[in-house]
Amino acid sequence: MGITGTSIIGACSSEPPRKLVPYITHPDNSIPGEPTWFATTCRECPAGCGMLAKNRDGRVIKVEGNPLHPVNTGALCPRGQASLHGLYNPDRFRGPMMVTSDNILAPVSWNKAKAKLAEILKRCMKDKKGDKIVFLSDLTTGTLKELIEYWLEQTGSGYYLRYEPFSYEPLRRANSLVFGTDGIPSYHINNADFLISFGADFIETWLSNIEYARQYGEFRDLSKPKDQIFVYVGPRLSLTASNADLHIPVNPGEEYLIGMAMLRVILDEDLVENMDPALKNELLRITGPFALQEIVKKTGVEPEIIQKTARLFARADRPLSLAGGYSNQLPLGTETAIVSNLLCTIVPGSRDLIDFKRGAAVEEASGEAKIIDLLKKMDKGEIEILFILNANPAFTLPSSLNFAEKIRKVPHVVSLSSCPDETSGFANIILPSHTPFESWGDYSPKTGIECLMQPVMGNLFDTRETGDILINMGKQVMGESIFPWSNYYEFLKNSWKDRIAEHSSGPAFESAWKDTVRKGGIWADEKKTVSGDQKGKSPELKDIQIPSPGKTKKETDGVFHLAVFPTIQFYDGRMANRPWLQEFPDPITQVTWGGWVEIHPQTAASLGIKKGDMVRVRSSYGFADFPVLPLDTVLPRTVAVPVGQGHKSFGRFAEGLPSNPFELYPAVTGTEGAGRKILTVSLEKLNERFEIANTDGSLTQQGRELVQTISLKDLRSAVSSGYRPYIEYPTPEGYDPKKDFYPPHKHAGYRWGMIVDLDKCVGCGACVVACYAENNLSIVGRQRVLNGREMSWLRIQRYFKEEGPGVGWLPMLCQHCDNAPCESVCPVFAPQHNREGLNNQVYNRCIGTRFCSQNDPYKVRRFNWFTFDRPWPLDMQLNPDVTVRTKGVMEKCSFCVHRISEAKVQARNEGRKRVRDGEFTTACAQTCPTGAIIFGDLEDPESRVAKLMKDPRAYQALQYLNTKPAVIYLKKVTKEI
Amino acid sequence: MKSYTYKEIDEKIVSTLSPPTKGYFGIVALLILGLLTGGACWAYQIAVGLGAAGVMHPVAWGTYLINFVFWVGIAHSGTLISAILYLFRTPWRTPLARSAEAMTVFAVVTAGLFPFIHLGRVWIVYWIMPYPNQRNLWPNFQSPLVFDVIAISTYLTVSILFWYTGLIPDFAALRDRFKGIRKKIYGLFSLGWTGSSDQWRHHGWGYLLFAALATPLVISVHSVVSWDFALGIVPGWHSTIFAPYFVAGAIHSGLAMVLTLLIPMRRLLKLEDIISMYVLENVAKTIVFTGLIMGYSYATELFMAWYSGNLVERAVFDWRATGPYGFLFWVMIVCNSIVPLFFFLKRIRTSLAAMMIISILINIGMYYERYVIILSSVAHEFDPYSWGRYFGPTCVEFGILIGSFSLFFLLFVLFAKFIPTVSITELKEDQPMPVKRQAGEGRNER
Repeated sequence: MGITGTSIIGACSSEPPRKLVPYITHPDNSIPGEPTWFATTCRECPAGCGMLAKNRDGRVIKVEGNPLHPVNTGALCPRGQASLHGLYNPDRFRGPMMVTSDNILAPVSWNKAKAKLAEILKRCMKDKKGDKIVFLSDLTTGTLKELIEYWLEQTGSGYYLRYEPFSYEPLRRANSLVFGTDGIPSYHINNADFLISFGADFIETWLSNIEYARQYGEFRDLSKPKDQIFVYVGPRLSLTASNADLHIPVNPGEEYLIGMAMLRVILDEDLVENMDPALKNELLRITGPFALQEIVKKTGVEPEIIQKTARLFARADRPLSLAGGYSNQLPLGTETAIVSNLLCTIVPGSRDLIDFKRGAAVEEASGEAKIIDLLKKMDKGEIEILFILNANPAFTLPSSLNFAEKIRKVPHVVSLSSCPDETSGFANIILPSHTPFESWGDYSPKTGIECLMQPVMGNLFDTRETGDILINMGKQVMGESIFPWSNYYEFLKNSWKDRIAEHSSGPAFESAWKDTVRKGGIWADEKKTVSGDQKGKSPELKDIQIPSPGKTKKETDGVFHLAVFPTIQFYDGRMANRPWLQEFPDPITQVTWGGWVEIHPQTAASLGIKKGDMVRVRSSYGFADFPVLPLDTVLPRTVAVPVGQGHKSFGRFAEGLPSNPFELYPAVTGTEGAGRKILTVSLEKLNERFEIANTDGSLTQQGRELVQTISLKDLRSAVSSGYRPYIEYPTPEGYDPKKDFYPPHKHAGYRWGMIVDLDKCVGCGACVVACYAENNLSIVGRQRVLNGREMSWLRIQRYFKEEGPGVGWLPMLCQHCDNAPCESVCPVFAPQHNREGLNNQVYNRCIGTRFCSQNDPYKVRRFNWFTFDRPWPLDMQLNPDVTVRTKGVMEKCSFCVHRISEAKVQARNEGRKRVRDGEFTTACAQTCPTGAIIFGDLEDPESRVAKLMKDPRAYQALQYLNTKPAVIYLKKVTKEI
Repeated sequence: MKSYTYKEIDEKIVSTLSPPTKGYFGIVALLILGLLTGGACWAYQIAVGLGAAGVMHPVAWGTYLINFVFWVGIAHSGTLISAILYLFRTPWRTPLARSAEAMTVFAVVTAGLFPFIHLGRVWIVYWIMPYPNQRNLWPNFQSPLVFDVIAISTYLTVSILFWYTGLIPDFAALRDRFKGIRKKIYGLFSLGWTGSSDQWRHHGWGYLLFAALATPLVISVHSVVSWDFALGIVPGWHSTIFAPYFVAGAIHSGLAMVLTLLIPMRRLLKLEDIISMYVLENVAKTIVFTGLIMGYSYATELFMAWYSGNLVERAVFDWRATGPYGFLFWVMIVCNSIVPLFFFLKRIRTSLAAMMIISILINIGMYYERYVIILSSVAHEFDPYSWGRYFGPTCVEFGILIGSFSLFFLLFVLFAKFIPTVSITELKEDQPMPVKRQAGEGRNER
């Protein structure tokens, strides 16, 4: 593949000369400077969102959601946006490697590595040990799964495990107990009118976070007649909990008690009319041992809150209850999921929201029992060859399982992973696969949605497609006749013949195939298939028995409940080597680069520990060291730690950051059918510090009214009275000689502006990572974040309410003020107001006085303190439409000015005078799952932004400064319960 | 003041220009070393970027601007003593004027370096100058930084001219006393001075003119410097009191610096009877006055923050007084507005040791004042999410600070050896007219 490159020739001046090297033979279908978009599928987590990869001159530079895709409809989460850092990760395997006789891992040629593997395989099969070959991958579905199964079958093994640390077993068990279906359904949060979540963090990681975040946005739509209340029950104020109208904090493992109490209230008060008597009897039997008073005493939750929630739930037409249930390690996770499901049996409307016909792929993941079985076999020496593909059990299995010791007993460990991690550290042969961006493949996130992956650029390193490796090995070991396909692409296409024939008729397969590849897969129209037996079987509650919680024990000092939570940026830790995600602040804590343990400030004070002090969190099964972050996101008797950090060998960006909470888990979680019992830990202060690199300067907004709220009641009366808020319009109409010394700016054609709907913003931060990717923002690293030198143009400011619970999210970016304080103070006109209202920062002019940043009340300008470097090949991701800044220059949000220019050129090429409203948007708005950001022309009265600017909820940040910001916020709506 | 014959004056002053001792060379070498340290630090900073200093987001201005304001402040007292006291015909001015003028020039030179050091891309600093260019772009005359460029360069020009005008007759006097190469050099700088009455008349007018020009500049330059802050909308900066407050502060710190420099200098150069206690005492009295202005300004700032009812404004001052800068804040208040009040006591303002201590305390206090004002306001302004604290000063900043002091003192030490530190001319003018003396008659005492 030809690659247009820039080579930097070392020179002493600040702007080194660059040479553009053109193609020698130009490919026919590419126009220099014109991107090509390839549809593919995000494989960062099991959700399987559709992606469009933007290829510019041979390199993929940005990924965006596929708007046609039913899962994510155009949006991506921070992980999806950062997936390119998996492709361009400088720590990837550069080529095959093998352990030499000196016990050193050394690079070898593919032929040599393959020959060695073939020899091992042949010997193994000759010795009739073919059944001792195991394949361990992450969740893989579709054609690759078929190929692996076929391949294993031929070796005589068939031992294939698809390992996911979050395999949703408690949820599956509960579904099978209550709804008679051992599966993970699709939920329709958008159609609910009351929502309660028992630890289901659907905005950050739960099942399919973009899909459910979008549905949640629709759920909250203000035009709905009902109040659309969302209640969250869980041990920690997670991102999802922060969006709830009510967060009921409990200690981990007590969530189900709240559900039980709700059931009790509903039954005792007889809130549901015409309840099936059989169901009622069963529910009475199950809830029998749970007295409301006991629960209130145990959890410390006010009875009124439980009663109110129960009443709201029972009186709703379509209430929906969700439960976390993602891991066996969740304390009493199964019980919680069962109780949550029981709640969904009460009101008939609930069942319409749970669609078992569209099962999520994660239900196929191998359960814990199978993994433990494999470990036993490994321990006994019953495994001869272990293939590993992208699964990382060495990191995610509890250390008490002793995975390391057991895998050492396997004579041959072959890693097909594309990046070195803890598990592939045990491999003797490394045959690195392409990343999903370089391979053909398919993935089915849900029944009825089959997505394709295609190479979106040539491979970076000397890697191969997993399928090709398998077919090639198959040919070598088992013969051409068994593996007749020339490569995996052929195999894939063959296997898709049936599927496409099923869904399309008429056109020849080749053209249908091309269309499918272009579209990104096949999926049926979602609305059509909502009928049928998606509800699962009717509830059979006979076998359900939930033991009484027992008497409230007196809490002993120094013993804490442990809540472990996955974060939106790292999921189960597999993204920890993406520098964008390390630099991206965790939404609730705003911490970058490293883990922490959240401790209630009172507890921290009583233990005499301060922020950044290291503590050893010790359970009966192990210990891990974390820096302390006192925050009242947890109850005083609970400590919470995030999943994902603490990697020991996962590349330069992930290593050396505390810490891995999987170390604290018990090896075996308990009997079949029940989740883990409550895990307690002790804290021991260590004589060390690890400064926490958080980016927030204050927990609250200190009365500054940056995040403004309005109650639903007030909003309704404001709408009916036709209330128009006072806005300092960033247009000529906003000027008044009494308060403005200078005359208004005349705008030519457009006045770009942005609406940010704080009621829709869930704080996920996808926009932040999208901005990093789009605008070539620099990654600065932990020490420089500690020094306050992060470079984000857009940040999601998290403000806890000053009094009482509640969190406000404020996406803060350059406000493109019409009366910009930064413009007037620059001596050289580097910030300059352009004719379309943009506050441009002209990098070439900037001499680095930094006066603009000093005078910027929003503090959105970023200075290049250094020339930040990007180790190859991370620099290949750079967007050629955006200048890469060097030291000494101020930078800031440009409203994606290059996208504006592109749209204008497009309009001109099509013979239009103007860009249509919504024809293009900024990178942040593009990826927002809830559509909270809207971009457009404020002077066009028909545009969405101009209309929303007159919304009764509209306000401007720091309006009294008369900066006339062009970013208009819409107030967050609060609801009374 | 004791009176001297013209000859005695000549001899006394010229003796300060005698060949230097080993100690002098040692000091010069040390200062050059310090200067090189600063230069190396600056070079390093240019190579890696401004991240070498402790500046960060949101505190994008650090010690470089503090040093800038500090040195401009020092410069002002020089002008104050030489020009303003000249216009008022203050009798105790003469012995101080020359050193004060030199101090002005050297301090402005040192100060003028800091805006350069502070820039992200110093290699294109000339873009700030209004000149026809291929970019078809004038500087932004709305920007206080452009005011700064104009104000500082004007000030530097006028102070050099003022200083030089006063020096011409002295150079001529030296020319007449020396031989060889020194005669040629002093001759060159004396611009053919013959001492004719025309020349004296022109010199007198010229000196008066520059004194009259320099006086408003003291006020305008430091007002402009203060506008770097006051014209911004940053709470804690955006205040109309800033211009007078900065001018008073500059004079305050300048007078203190004069004491700090003169007390050792008069001893080293044996000028005790020319720079007499009477002179020093008057400086101390003036410090009481400027100290009172400072105290009033601090009180006004705090009162206005409270009285305005502005949440952000109040929060900044609250944080200044009680936050991490609290200690420095109270040091500033005590050193600048309380310590000078001790000069009300005659015993203290006539004690060299006490004067030395107090003047150093004021210098520290004034440095901290700039530190607190420049670093604390942006650290704690409108958007609480962006609150953050300057994490410097780093080694590079200390290096550059050492370099700047070395530069200033190096220039001063060289000045003391090459140029009369007290104006010969003016000293003679202060003497009673020489009369033919009878034998046995004593010298006339004033």
